[in-house]
Amino acid sequence: MGISSRLAIGELKDHKKIYAIIVIVIALTMTSFMLENAYLNYMMQVVDDTTKLVTSDAIVVDEDSTIRDLYGTTVELKNAGEIARRIERDIPGYKTSVRVTSQGTYGLGEEGEAADACTIQGIDPKKDNDISGIAKKVVKGRFFKDDDPILRGHTPLYIEIEGPGNLPDFTWGTGEKLFEDEEPYPIIAGVAASKTHPSVDVGKTLSITISVSGRETKYATVNVKIIGLYESGTPLLDAVMWFMHGDSLREIKGYGEITGKDWYIPGIGTFKGYHPITIDRDRGDAVLVKAPEPLHKLNPIGLSEEVKEEITENVPFLKVYSWHDFLIYVTGSMQDVVTIMLWGSIAVTLFLCAAAIKYVMDSIILRKTREIGSLKAFGARDRVIFKIFLYQGLIIGFIAGVLGIIVSLIVINFVNWYGLSVEFIAGTQLKIGFIINWLTLLIAILLPVLLSVLAAAIPAKKASMLSPVEALRKGELAL
Amino acid sequence: MIKNKKPIIKLIKISKKYDEYGVVVNALDSVSLNIFSGEFVSIIGPSGSGKSTLLHCMGLLDRPTSGKVYISGKDTSKITGKEIASFRGNQLGFVFQNYNLIPRLTVLENVLLPGLIMEKDQKSLEEKAKVLLKEVGILHRSDHKGIHLSGGEQQRVAIARALINDPAVVLADEPTGALDSDSSKEIMELLVKMNRKRNVTSIFVSHDIEIASYGKRVIVIKDGNIAEDSKGRREKSKQILKKFSRMTGG
Repeated sequence: MGISSRLAIGELKDHKKIYAIIVIVIALTMTSFMLENAYLNYMMQVVDDTTKLVTSDAIVVDEDSTIRDLYGTTVELKNAGEIARRIERDIPGYKTSVRVTSQGTYGLGEEGEAADACTIQGIDPKKDNDISGIAKKVVKGRFFKDDDPILRGHTPLYIEIEGPGNLPDFTWGTGEKLFEDEEPYPIIAGVAASKTHPSVDVGKTLSITISVSGRETKYATVNVKIIGLYESGTPLLDAVMWFMHGDSLREIKGYGEITGKDWYIPGIGTFKGYHPITIDRDRGDAVLVKAPEPLHKLNPIGLSEEVKEEITENVPFLKVYSWHDFLIYVTGSMQDVVTIMLWGSIAVTLFLCAAAIKYVMDSIILRKTREIGSLKAFGARDRVIFKIFLYQGLIIGFIAGVLGIIVSLIVINFVNWYGLSVEFIAGTQLKIGFIINWLTLLIAILLPVLLSVLAAAIPAKKASMLSPVEALRKGELAL
Repeated sequence: MIKNKKPIIKLIKISKKYDEYGVVVNALDSVSLNIFSGEFVSIIGPSGSGKSTLLHCMGLLDRPTSGKVYISGKDTSKITGKEIASFRGNQLGFVFQNYNLIPRLTVLENVLLPGLIMEKDQKSLEEKAKVLLKEVGILHRSDHKGIHLSGGEQQRVAIARALINDPAVVLADEPTGALDSDSSKEIMELLVKMNRKRNVTSIFVSHDIEIASYGKRVIVIKDGNIAEDSKGRREKSKQILKKFSRMTGG
């Protein structure tokens, strides 16, 4: 150990009380930083698990579609398959999946008794699972299998409603009665919906009326069988978001080559549909895009903007929404504001800590002037003196960082182990969790070290520049 | 005999001016002086005469405003800060009025300090430090913290510390200034002993005639100039001290 570090440690021991206070303040600030960052990481995980079920990293829709349409009313995206392939071809590392979306209304219990609505995402189980990880979220029942009855070979009957208004009563129970001998389409519902409605559960069959066009009032009523329930972590999305096989929804929406004539049922009217169809997998309502995994997620919002820009450059004639756009649409900018405010408060605290370090060192140097003079008389070079005080800053920062990490890890592990959660909508619980990553740990060490080294550097420089004779003359007798 | 030797410290017309609150003070005014190896020099003078400034310039703790300081034949006005630090550490040893021991360090650690600053081997330094502590009669307290020692004991430690790097010159600024008369006598006898035994050139500053009388060579500083210099002649030293005593009413 060099003389500077020995003397630095001695100095720290001499002033252990004041330095202990500074270390504790910095450590608590770093704890706050760590918890905040770990909570943001957790929230990002929740976002990954929920918002990205809808958008992945970004979603491309027709220029006439708005962000609201991501809830199932998007206008058909022409040449969706070609756009998906183009993005994969032009932007290395990007993965895509064509998605079909609709809105659904399902009856509950006895006919006409009650109803609820959902957004139906028609997915490509294999590609979409790679992109959004839906299969991993299934907590009851199962995900789609290859031998599921995905197609019926014909379109359902369509009911067109002219002008705005509610669906007429006769729509209820029409489709499923006409095709009651057919296998229902498999569907995956959300746990939150299941908790709200007992009739939404694995193995139950429901009649569901699905919008089959973007903005027009065209509907089809079909039977669906719930094969699984998923849980994303955000009950709100679980309650409204259901998943069908994309090909099932293509068949229902008539995305393919249709043959045959319209139907007329006496006493009810003319129905379009029930025509043989060969579905076209190039047709869809949106293209989901997943960017390559970033090296870190310290600035996920900035990253989402970059991804959005890259895709927009590739398909300038279409609309691109990032997951962050969707998050802002769903939750508002509150979380972003809170994040900025928390970062701001951490910055202010750290600045105050730095000021405290500088102030304490200034006062120590004032008292130790004679000692500094003696060291110079004994041959200590300026840099030896500089290092004595700089090392103190280094050690303070390091100890504070390590202490901050230890306290944070204790809190994080305790909360994660205890399973803290808060009441959420529809009788569900929202879990509070923390996810720590290496980058956060690295910053939690480097930031206080950098801060205290910088804060110590100013008084250290001042001390090192003292003339030995002046230093010996001045100063109190603190030796 | 001395005249044929090369001086270990040579001052050529050094002046030192201070600016105190806008007033220029001439602490030293064109002082020239040669100090030879093995000399035991006392510098005496009234308060504010410039004796400490002279010592600081000789010890490279302060740079003269003009003139040149040679140490071991080297012109120190032309050397870098790094070389000056090296000179101070290796060629010079310092003893201060207030001892300047580092309070949190033990006696042994205090003695080691200048050696460690010069990045010397700790083991051989420790051996040397123990020999020195034995010579100054404080070895039995080598594990005690410096602050727990009496003034006389602390100054003994400071003398051992000044000698750890085998300096060519030991400079002492009022080494007995904070001690009682018995301790002062002991310290001066110790400095004399070290000067004889180790043949280390010793220069000390004092305003006390009795303490100054330990010097073989007595230099009187007055108003930033050398007023008297016995040049090592015993009788001359006595005369100078008598004259100084009369002058200061002592």
